[in-house]
Amino acid sequence: MSKEKRFPAALARIPEATWIFLIVFIIASVLVPNFFSIGNLSTMLLQACTLTLLSVAMALTLMMGSIDLSMGGVVSMSGVIMAYMMNAGLSAWIALPAGLLLGLVFGLFNGVLVTKLKIPPFIATFGSMGIAQSIANTISEERTVTWVASEKTSLISFLGSKALVVEAGEGASNTLTISNLLIITVIAVAIVWFLFSRTTLGSNIYALGANQETARLSGINVTRWRIIVFMISGLLAALGGIVVMVRSNSVQPTIGANMEFQACVAAVLGGNIMTGGRGSVPGAVLGALTLYTIRSAMSLLGIDTSWVQVAIGVVLVIGMIINNYVTQRESQRAAVISRSAGKGGAEA
Amino acid sequence: MEKLLEFRHITKVFPGVTALDDINIDLYPGEVHIIVGENGAGKSTLMKILSGAYEATSGELYMEGKLIAKNSPQVSASLGISMIYQELNLVPELSIASNIFLGHELRRGGFVNKAAQEKRANELLKEIGVYVNAGTLVKQLGVGTQQMVEIAKALSRQAKVIVFDEPTSSLTDSEITELFHIIRLLKERNVGMFYISHRLEELFQIGDRVSVLRDGKHILTDTIDHMTMDDVIEGIAGRKIENLFPHVRKPAGDPMLEIRHLTGSKFSDVSMTVRAGEIVGVSGLVGAGRTETARAAFGIDKYESGEVVVCGRKLPKRSPSRANRLGMCLLPEDRKTEGLALELSIRENIVVSSLKALNPRGIVRAKNEATEVGKSINSLEIATSSMEKLVRFLSGGTQQKVVIAKWLLSNSRVFIFDEPTRGIDVGAKSSIYQLMDELVAGGAAILMISSDMTEILGMSDRIYVMSGGKLVGELDSEGATQNEILKLAFSNV
Repeated sequence: MSKEKRFPAALARIPEATWIFLIVFIIASVLVPNFFSIGNLSTMLLQACTLTLLSVAMALTLMMGSIDLSMGGVVSMSGVIMAYMMNAGLSAWIALPAGLLLGLVFGLFNGVLVTKLKIPPFIATFGSMGIAQSIANTISEERTVTWVASEKTSLISFLGSKALVVEAGEGASNTLTISNLLIITVIAVAIVWFLFSRTTLGSNIYALGANQETARLSGINVTRWRIIVFMISGLLAALGGIVVMVRSNSVQPTIGANMEFQACVAAVLGGNIMTGGRGSVPGAVLGALTLYTIRSAMSLLGIDTSWVQVAIGVVLVIGMIINNYVTQRESQRAAVISRSAGKGGAEA
Repeated sequence: MEKLLEFRHITKVFPGVTALDDINIDLYPGEVHIIVGENGAGKSTLMKILSGAYEATSGELYMEGKLIAKNSPQVSASLGISMIYQELNLVPELSIASNIFLGHELRRGGFVNKAAQEKRANELLKEIGVYVNAGTLVKQLGVGTQQMVEIAKALSRQAKVIVFDEPTSSLTDSEITELFHIIRLLKERNVGMFYISHRLEELFQIGDRVSVLRDGKHILTDTIDHMTMDDVIEGIAGRKIENLFPHVRKPAGDPMLEIRHLTGSKFSDVSMTVRAGEIVGVSGLVGAGRTETARAAFGIDKYESGEVVVCGRKLPKRSPSRANRLGMCLLPEDRKTEGLALELSIRENIVVSSLKALNPRGIVRAKNEATEVGKSINSLEIATSSMEKLVRFLSGGTQQKVVIAKWLLSNSRVFIFDEPTRGIDVGAKSSIYQLMDELVAGGAAILMISSDMTEILGMSDRIYVMSGGKLVGELDSEGATQNEILKLAFSNV
């Protein structure tokens, strides 16, 4: 009896995106030559870093029943401003923390718009996306911003360097490469995940997303927590900006454009819903990895990049069908649990 | 014994309305104090003053002899006052333990101590006789169990006063029994409870004292032994309701609705017949497949085999619009989400099923609509200042009348009512019953699904009983007893 009871609980905690990710990944591994090689997988993981950070941020805001559309703008803006500072001769040790701080401030700005001025998150962050993107365009004069590599920017080269290279065989496809950027991304996601599951952050986010009134009546400071989540989102977006900047050693002012929508797709694939109250951090990570599996597989096959969006659309639809199926199964099991619960002591 | 809680001369004035007028009600430890009254009588306003959501215009609130000077949700919670609302306030994605400790988590070094929370939550659940693992996610629980989690949550906050707001409205019979058991346990622990309900029979099952509110005034408070059901009804309605159930049996006419051997995923081989001039009740436990059968018969959900005949014509599967054209309609249990568009006006709601007839060739004839709606409002006595009033602002009883008006206008002759008076106060109930009687007197046929035993016995000509998805019996309401029905209802669980 107890076994029967625990099984669905465990099942409910596997992010829904697991299934679609496995399906896409296995199909790509079987059908696409060179896809399942450590070289390609290393590259794919590195490429997925920025989107993973943004998807996690998006998942947090979606679970809370909000949305942060400004993150793509923040990637562009913080990227441009950091590059501009280094271009002006400032040290990376000043520019990078300044970029992160800018992300935090922008998150605070979003949070205040949403909580204090009562602007719906979709509208508020849509507006601030425009502001951030315009700042990026204006400062850069719509040109790519670069800087002269020097002692002062050695932090950038360090971040871009490889932490670990393992040659398992001949050629690039058999070489495992772990970049410092990947390590930073993993650490950042791990910290968020840790805060989410081990502090009150997670419960508060779920409570806010399920019903703000419930949260308020339970004594949760609704305004403060919503602002905090927007600030985390801004911070993660700025970190995404750093990853992009380090990888390309320059910043295009439109680098972050549309990233919020990709993050949205990844988060939704990961089991987050637009109305909030459910979803998960690991789900968002898997969602982002699913998107990059598709990109990587299609580029290896030499398919034109414009088809990638089509494929992603198809996978999103299939993913939602699978998610719905999983959710339905869950609620059927729920009925069984509550029925057995009512009957009292016998099976306890 | 010392009073646990006392409202003294509480008055609450909203712009234009006096919601509460000089209310004096008290609560003793270990007491279940039932508060009854029509919708809008002031019950929830009073409880909101207790919870701190509203501030009283004048008057005082005492807890254990001490004045609560400035109440707020935080203050009332810290004094040990807990609310259990009709709409449960739990977070589905969190475990039972996390829900119980939401907002006052057990910590160890700044981090949530989940193990300790689960251990304590399991103890709390055990105290009230609920045997579910506290690590289970709330979304996996049924409504009844969720309510018990709410009670455990109140206990975790050392509740001295618990307010139940219509706790049984969405529970099954066995869940209600469990709830009452827990309430008795709480009484032994000297918890004082306010209990709000529209189900008057519950007063006598669980109550110690009853207070009646009407139009914001305190009508009476007395111990339950000194009262009869009629006293309570009279107090609530402000008039004697001589005959709550006006239905007079008349010889039935031709069959209007025939459900033949209907089989679907939640019901099998169900056959029912309703004749012109008949009200046929469908009784059974929640989950017996009554609503599912009705929905399939009307064409909302699919069924595997069998057929549905309305006025001699066979209905196609899955076509509510066709069923409606043949004169059939379904008034769902959940009026607010399935029966009405709350953000539209009374007029728009009433005409929505008759748009074609009222507006030939698709051109809106505002005059036609207004005339017809005006007629419905008069004949059904829909209490409203204007037909343009949004349905959201109407009481439950008036909303139900709007749904009926909608179907009458589209010439419906066969009505399926699913819990026609759930959440409707006793005064409005009697006018709904009257309306149902008028419908069948005019030659219509009504199939009435209801979990309210007095309603089933009082209104039906015949009673079908379903259990476990099967039709297990048919009774003539003349001489049928509650016990007989219950025995059948449990026969196939």
